[in-house]
Amino acid sequence: MISAQLNERITRIGPDTPAGSVLRQYWQPAALIDELDHGARVPVNLLGERLVLVQDKGPLHLATRIASADEAPTHYPASDEIEIDPTGPTYPALQRAGAVFAYLGDGTPPPFPNFDCFRAPDSHVFAFKGLWECNWLQALEIGIDPAHASFLHRFLEDDDPEDGYGKQFRDKAGTTEIPMTKLLRDYPRPDIQVDETDYGLKITALRHMEDGRTHVRVTNQIFPEAICIPMSREMTITQWHVPVDDETCYWFTIFTSFDKPVNKELMREQRLKEHRLPDYAPLKNRENEYHYNPDEQAALTYTGMGLDINVHDQWAVEGMGAIQDRTQEHLGRSDVAIIRYRRMLRRAMDAMEQNDPETLPMQDDGAARIIGPLSNDAIGDTGDWAEASHLADLDRRAACPWDASV
Amino acid sequence: MPDQTDNQGTWVRIAASADLDIPRPVRAVTLDGHRLVLFRDDEGELGLIGRNCPHRGADLCYGRLEDNGLRCPFHGWHFDRTGQCVEQPAEPEGSKMYEQIKVPMVPVREENGEIFALVGADLAQTGQKEDAV
Repeated sequence: MISAQLNERITRIGPDTPAGSVLRQYWQPAALIDELDHGARVPVNLLGERLVLVQDKGPLHLATRIASADEAPTHYPASDEIEIDPTGPTYPALQRAGAVFAYLGDGTPPPFPNFDCFRAPDSHVFAFKGLWECNWLQALEIGIDPAHASFLHRFLEDDDPEDGYGKQFRDKAGTTEIPMTKLLRDYPRPDIQVDETDYGLKITALRHMEDGRTHVRVTNQIFPEAICIPMSREMTITQWHVPVDDETCYWFTIFTSFDKPVNKELMREQRLKEHRLPDYAPLKNRENEYHYNPDEQAALTYTGMGLDINVHDQWAVEGMGAIQDRTQEHLGRSDVAIIRYRRMLRRAMDAMEQNDPETLPMQDDGAARIIGPLSNDAIGDTGDWAEASHLADLDRRAACPWDASV
Repeated sequence: MPDQTDNQGTWVRIAASADLDIPRPVRAVTLDGHRLVLFRDDEGELGLIGRNCPHRGADLCYGRLEDNGLRCPFHGWHFDRTGQCVEQPAEPEGSKMYEQIKVPMVPVREENGEIFALVGADLAQTGQKEDAV
């Protein structure tokens, strides 16, 4: 439980808020490159600001657009209806890995870290986004909570992992023939270890099996509001939880393949089937009760909301309310990474208030040399799980067609 | 049957018994602005408890009605009809944390096919009032 005052402090992101000033120190995903087809002016609603991505003869940039106060958070006017406010701020923007990133902070933007998603060639990355109607922090916190996958994403039956392309938790676990869905179900009490790193947090979830082996799942918090997690043997997910405003956010994901080029047509088709344009709002949502089906909940899935794990996460975080009331929460041992993350965020907010932005993670030139992060599933002898995880990562990187060496 | 006031407070009709004659007897109830969930357990008894899981606030209206109580789909925390947490399956083996966790409960009674809830001190404790609009 935290005070109402602290909850406000760690969640609100408008200009001149402590958490907003931390997020503004980093490049933020502002649009998908697919959106550049919208026209010379593309609406961007980011960090409580009403902006427009301008594509003209000069460098790509964001400008302030004229907007009415009662405009919907995801209002998306046509290109020729957008009026630029010449008195508002402008921000630099550039294309990386299928997305447009923008820097809304003061001073010189920090370098891009050399993460796998930024290192892989265009053929091996694919970006998509989706709207969640809640505050960004609860959206991030579900991503750094390794225990929930054993419940929220539980499948009461296992599908054939061969049919799992482009889907989370549908591959086999590590080098075994065990479907991930079964492993998560059979071992619901992971032992969670959290290590602070130069990019954020390394989160290791250990599921000790009866046969003397341990399943090791390494996920990461990338400061300030991204995660990097394994999706399948072939792909990882790097996902930002970007505030539109205090009560609305987008997840922006870069899928990165360590093997074959990403089948972008299939990935896009799978996801467009679940979202509407132009605001990328999910078709299953609060208004239609996420297509909740009690019969399915009894027989097939833990939530009764279908097989798409994005919908499960969306339900969990939107159900908390627009901004989760953390004065009522009771964190447990499974929330250890959330507790560590909030500590980092508070330290960063304090530093910003003391005019000390260079002490935040990844602000100096060294950030460009950060590689990885290790993000995978592995299985090894319980006494030797750390080595098993390390070797599985090296194997995947050695076989990778692009330079993924560490 | 009209609402009744006694020394505990006012008993307000919140549903008909028939409303719960469904395969999964769980319903959202908003009472005096407080967001609650009403359910019937395996013993046929009613529970009326706060709607948000005391762990991280997930919406218990979508809970799994099983094991004589309501289970949160987020991490499997399980609550009986008094709101007492009886299981936290993701916490370490042997953890007793669940003993300290209780969702606020509002007294409820069923008479002549109607379900009444007490608007009184317990309801005020639920602390999950909808924002006044």
